[in-house]
Amino acid sequence: MSSRDEHELKYQVTLVELVDRVLNKGVVLAGDITLSVADVDLVYVGLRVLLSSVSTLEEQRDREISAVGAQA
Amino acid sequence: MSSDVGAVNGENHLGWYLYGVVAAAEATPKIETEGVAVDPAHEVELVAEPPLAGVASRVSLHEFDEATLSERLGDAAWLEQKIRAHEQVLERVLREVSVVPCRFCTVYRSESELRRFLSERGQPLLAALDRVRGQVEVGVKAFVDRERFVAGQAARNERIRELQTRAASMAEGRAYLERRRLEQLVSSEVERLRSSAGSEIHARLLARAGDGLPLALQATEVSGRDDEMIFHGAYLVEADESGFEAALGILASEYRDAGVDFELTGPWPPYNFVPAELRAQ
Repeated sequence: MSSRDEHELKYQVTLVELVDRVLNKGVVLAGDITLSVADVDLVYVGLRVLLSSVSTLEEQRDREISAVGAQA
Repeated sequence: MSSDVGAVNGENHLGWYLYGVVAAAEATPKIETEGVAVDPAHEVELVAEPPLAGVASRVSLHEFDEATLSERLGDAAWLEQKIRAHEQVLERVLREVSVVPCRFCTVYRSESELRRFLSERGQPLLAALDRVRGQVEVGVKAFVDRERFVAGQAARNERIRELQTRAASMAEGRAYLERRRLEQLVSSEVERLRSSAGSEIHARLLARAGDGLPLALQATEVSGRDDEMIFHGAYLVEADESGFEAALGILASEYRDAGVDFELTGPWPPYNFVPAELRAQ
């Protein structure tokens, strides 16, 4: 692994750690606009991160994508 | 309470992004949040609705609108900037006062909606704030280095020594099978370590923390380490306390010979120690 890859990996990991907390934890308030579970899936798609805690989301995410595609 | 909801008025389609909630009395203007808001064009403000105050900043409702949000969420660059901004703001707040962190992308269409929310949910918000007052979240991870684990096990486990010796003395083809057997044995020993060490680590750290909970273990792609994660937890600790770190240090020295390394992250806003949902009064 090149040092650049290693650097990228570290960077990714910090973001993943962050995403895990910011998206899955924290108080869910009744905002006028809030993320739904499907939105959270989209975030993972956007960031292409793999979280072991959301392995089931991966299957859901595939369904979500096809559903979104169908709507469009 | 008045219901002046229709206050879309002259705000030019700006809404409020809510990062977290603090106690109005504690929230001095000392919090340094210049230039870190999710929308760099608008600084973070305290929207005081005593006894609480929302840490919020104005955002374009076009950018955060429900209809376009799903599109934005697929944009990694946009997401990363917003997620980092969300965390940055909360970290700055956390340095000064206790905070109940909100989940990413909590947006109100108007200031009056935000204020209405703060006053309607005052009771559970205050309770959530009381629970985390003066405290921060820290993350603890433990990883096992297989080579060191095997070396440590070999000293105690005769079966492992035997398989190692046999694999070393055999011709390549048969040694492969022996190595597979050794590998399986080591895996089951690591599994045992994971369950025994996991509960011991958690119990001992919990004794030095206000609260704590085990989190899902991360796969190596996520943890970014080659070593297997055997423990992952989050703890609520006093912001200026060193006893927790000392306890972790003792654990680390005890587990070093078993090939276990510890990692401490944080301080985080107490994401894991606020209720997922707040009930209305």
